[in-house]
Amino acid sequence: MQKIPLIRATAGMVLARDVFRTESANGIPICGKDTELTESLIARLENLDIQSVYVAGHPLREEGDRTLDDLLRELDGRFQKVRQDPLTAGLHTIYTDYLKRSMGESGGRKTE
Amino acid sequence: MDEKRNELKKIIMNTKTLPTLPGVINKLNSLSDNDKSSVQEMARIVSSDQVLSARILRLANSPSYGFYRVSTISNAMILLGVNVVKSLALSSSIFEIMEKDSVGLWEHSLGTGVAANLIATRLGLPEREEIATAGLLHDIGKVIISLKCSAAEDEVRRVIKEKHIYMREAEQEVIDTDHAEVGAWLAKSWFLPDKLSEPINCHHNVEASENHRIKTAVVHMADVLIKASGFGDSGDDYVPRIQQAAWDALKLNDQIVAELVEEMEDKLVEVKNFSLELQQGANAAPN
Repeated sequence: MQKIPLIRATAGMVLARDVFRTESANGIPICGKDTELTESLIARLENLDIQSVYVAGHPLREEGDRTLDDLLRELDGRFQKVRQDPLTAGLHTIYTDYLKRSMGESGGRKTE
Repeated sequence: MDEKRNELKKIIMNTKTLPTLPGVINKLNSLSDNDKSSVQEMARIVSSDQVLSARILRLANSPSYGFYRVSTISNAMILLGVNVVKSLALSSSIFEIMEKDSVGLWEHSLGTGVAANLIATRLGLPEREEIATAGLLHDIGKVIISLKCSAAEDEVRRVIKEKHIYMREAEQEVIDTDHAEVGAWLAKSWFLPDKLSEPINCHHNVEASENHRIKTAVVHMADVLIKASGFGDSGDDYVPRIQQAAWDALKLNDQIVAELVEEMEDKLVEVKNFSLELQQGANAAPN
């Protein structure tokens, strides 16, 4: 499952969660999960000002198909100056765990 | 020795006609300082600027705020708070004049505002709006440097690339000052309150913050989290060291930070969406 901005949604993606009129889950549901998105459905969601949807799998990849390994390498690059600092190294660990978890459960591909 | 620094300071203090401070924000400032003025009066002023109005309504209606259908400027102003509207007036006009390649900095600023709001909410801090606004504006000095001394900015970028150092280190080398100080000069000459100018001034040196240490600490942490996330582009790609003073002031621990990371990453998807839409809107605009 992946949360994506509606602007990046394309026909053929399948909703992984109900879409609600407002962000909170006690809003009015407008579209059930497992629905396959079509161009007209996306346009209607846009008209309702829906900002983001949860879709099945991990269809959207930022900037050319980054794998978990790529993301972790970029993370290491960003933290290269502060790995010796205990507090900031702690944040690095937290982010590593976060990336592994979010890419893992959503079927993120391993490096081929 | 401090020649360049003083020269720059003079330029900034003397710029009365910064394009980033439109008439609208001046009027808003004077009205909001006056206890007798009503939100409706302020809303009328905002309404005179169609671009600003559109953005305020869009923000009030965005899911990040969780309000249900806001259609009038005055309602939006009541819901968002006058200070958010003022900061939006600042940031949207900055967005107007920013070049295409500055979108990264705008995203970094907006992201930091969002992150600061999340941290303040999670910790139950008072004056969340002000904290979010301070986050939004914390790198305003970079915008000014790029506007007022574009040659220096090019040089700063070259130095970062060559030496692989933090942007503020490169700024110190090239212009004898850094964006935090420049931002603080600007905040001062715009008469922004201390609770905004101090976090701008001290977001890289929390210990120097005396009167608004908590707000400054939140903005510092928000900046660190956004850079850790790799969201937007603030000039260099290096996560700043978490400052002990900020960590202590906010009584943070790994558990809280882990929850914040999760929450923030979720929100950033929407921020990205907002940014993409604005860019599309800017491209589609007839002028």
